[in-house]
Amino acid sequence: MIDIVGILSANLLYVLLITIGGTLVSFSVHFVPVGGAPAAMAQAPGIGTGTVQLAAGAGLTGLITAGTVLGLTNSIAIVLASGAVGAMLMIGSTMIIGQMVYVFGVGVPPAGGKSKYDPITKDQQDIYSSQGTEGHALPTASYISGIIGGGLGGLGGSLVYYSLVNVTNNIGMTDLAGLAGIFAVGIFFINAVIPSYNIGGTTEGFHDPKFKKWYRAVISSIIATFMCAIIGVLAIGGL
Amino acid sequence: MSAGGSGGPATGGIDHNKIIIFGIIGALVGIYAAYFLVNAIGSAFSFIAGLGAICSIVWGASAVRRVSNYGLGTGVPSIGMLAIGTGMVASLFGMAVGSIAGPIISFVTACIIGLVIGILANRIIGMGIPIMEQSMTEIAGAGSLTIVALSTTMSGTFMIETILPNVIGTGYIAMIFIIGALSILHPFNANLGPDEHQDRTLSTGFEKGAIAVIIAGIVATTTAGAASIPTILVGAFIWYTAFSKFYEYIKRDAHKVVGTGVLPTEEELE
Amino acid sequence: MDPLLGMGVLALMGAAATIAGATEDLESDVGSQSNPNSQVQLAPQMMHPHRIYNKAISGEPPSNALMCAIGGTIASVMMSAYGLSVVFAITFGAAIAAVIHGTYAASSFMGRVSSQKRFKQPLYLDIVRSHTPVIIGYAFLTTFFILVISYLMSSVLNHPFPLPLLAFIWGITVGAIGSSTGDVHYGAEREYQNVEFGSGINAANSGDIVRHGESGLRNGIDNAWFCSKFGGPVTGIAFGMTVFLSGWVTTVFNPGESITMGWLSVIAGLLIVAILIIGNRIIETWARSTYGPYQEEESEEVTA
Repeated sequence: MIDIVGILSANLLYVLLITIGGTLVSFSVHFVPVGGAPAAMAQAPGIGTGTVQLAAGAGLTGLITAGTVLGLTNSIAIVLASGAVGAMLMIGSTMIIGQMVYVFGVGVPPAGGKSKYDPITKDQQDIYSSQGTEGHALPTASYISGIIGGGLGGLGGSLVYYSLVNVTNNIGMTDLAGLAGIFAVGIFFINAVIPSYNIGGTTEGFHDPKFKKWYRAVISSIIATFMCAIIGVLAIGGL
Repeated sequence: MSAGGSGGPATGGIDHNKIIIFGIIGALVGIYAAYFLVNAIGSAFSFIAGLGAICSIVWGASAVRRVSNYGLGTGVPSIGMLAIGTGMVASLFGMAVGSIAGPIISFVTACIIGLVIGILANRIIGMGIPIMEQSMTEIAGAGSLTIVALSTTMSGTFMIETILPNVIGTGYIAMIFIIGALSILHPFNANLGPDEHQDRTLSTGFEKGAIAVIIAGIVATTTAGAASIPTILVGAFIWYTAFSKFYEYIKRDAHKVVGTGVLPTEEELE
Repeated sequence: MDPLLGMGVLALMGAAATIAGATEDLESDVGSQSNPNSQVQLAPQMMHPHRIYNKAISGEPPSNALMCAIGGTIASVMMSAYGLSVVFAITFGAAIAAVIHGTYAASSFMGRVSSQKRFKQPLYLDIVRSHTPVIIGYAFLTTFFILVISYLMSSVLNHPFPLPLLAFIWGITVGAIGSSTGDVHYGAEREYQNVEFGSGINAANSGDIVRHGESGLRNGIDNAWFCSKFGGPVTGIAFGMTVFLSGWVTTVFNPGESITMGWLSVIAGLLIVAILIIGNRIIETWARSTYGPYQEEESEEVTA
């Protein structure tokens, strides 16, 4: 049997970093402007997909970038920043093309539904909503909120991956990358679903009233990720 | 993706508790029987773990059916991804530290984390789904058993020394992750609707489980401890049987099965 | 590695990604998947039975991740156990993955329709027979090109993740992009061509999708024909941009050379993000000034 106390005390820092990383992912999902099925019909603002889906797509793209960079350098700051930038690029490209589909393909102008004026550009929103809808597409506030969400998600995912790879172990690099990668994916999904239950699957971004509930998901994620971090570190450290 | 569920408890057919027992016992017996028989007789017996995987997949599908009937506020897939993420973390831990007790440690760990997430979802996030705790425990447990069973089907053992280079380092674990998740969440998602029937949903579970076994059988060609041909044949046989059964239920349940035709007229819809 | 070679590989990956994105979107339009499918699902309940496929395989990210991960697994098995060449291995992997995707598609269509018995939606077998092969075809293309990207990343660019894991992650990403961009064209425009272009879709119209085609009754293949003119290609551009830009910043400014280069790559990425934010703002103001507000025309814009 493995030396539980020894491994945990030697890698306490990484347990904490993984917990922080997972919690960042959970927090980040609250920023991603998704409208679910109504948004796909241009009946609600935001991207027309599910929260978990878009957050996972962005965060895991960041994980790929972080994986590339971790093979090249050991600087934690650059690995984390690259993960965040990779995710921001993915969500930025997706949202601008999504915006083009709303504007050129469906013919509706961007309009938010949760506040009368856009908190960043101060543009009036309600008169641009078509009849019987809550708004459509991505006003600037939602777009910037999405970029922040993507960045935080990529940062969190890379932090989890970086910490798992650096736990003291005797595994070869090929096997370790696969093991740490799939662990990071598992922890990512747990922390992407918890907040999506918190916001009921849709949000407009940081100016949405639902955003105020973020602490509920964050507390839940701290507890859930802490457990995963302990067993993750034990699994990798014990090999 | 669509938000599903009619907002009440699921009904019908086989008692869910029987399916729980079928899933746990079936999966554990399958995993251990495969492990011991492969050691004692030969690699041809690795397919038994695949049968175990099907048991846990059917159990998981039944648990998803039960909880999703309440309506989760977001799609059916999310709970499957959450549970299989939990199951993945737990089973890697169980296999890494557990040695011979690996499958049991994986299962127990997954149940504990699943229970905690279920409690968090109801108490802190306030989802208010009465059976959330039990369902999260069940789906995470079923997920971990599926992962361990499919890994055993691929390599003939659940010992981490073999699993690590053969299943994890090669990345096949990513495929196990997603095929386990979809096999568990797809059956209810695919049959969602007011006229859903338990037997049809579970037959889809058997069918999707069999596909996972066939793929695991193909992967088994790369490992010394597991045999490929018996696993693929058994998987194909179960798939054919389950799909025929599924199609029978379709003909029984659908309003009308027609080769082609125009839309029903207004009078017919009244 | 030679930076020029890196750029060449990256360009190839970007091109492959563009095709993968476009076929992913068309695949989800033929079968009607993800969020727009909620209307196809709802239609029979609103007394609108239809002849459109109902491919309810979870969301697009998991279903694409499944086929890409299966394809990556099979390709990797073929290369390591049978020593097959890369091109054959990837083709073989993509073919098996696409067929399995076909079984998922068929079971969800038949299952969902059967669960709508009380709304009298018939199950048309010719739709199963004609659409499932098209779905398999598009799924093959998507998986094939995702595997090309993943293989180039793992073998040429030396990414530490194994092939199936890379394929899995890119599958999640292409699904997320497809359901965020191209699907809107299918959901908000193609399904509701009965309302005037640009008038918005009143929530009261939910389920009232267009069921009659240019000739005869509309089906999923007609929808893919329409979406291939705009929704599919722009999805390809979005995924191509993602793959190309996220790789470009670390190829041009290689963090392996020095810490400074690492930070330059981060700065380059942030600059691109800033350009995207400005671009989004330009589209927003253009749309608002060109289309104008809805308020004063509220009475006329109900339905055409």
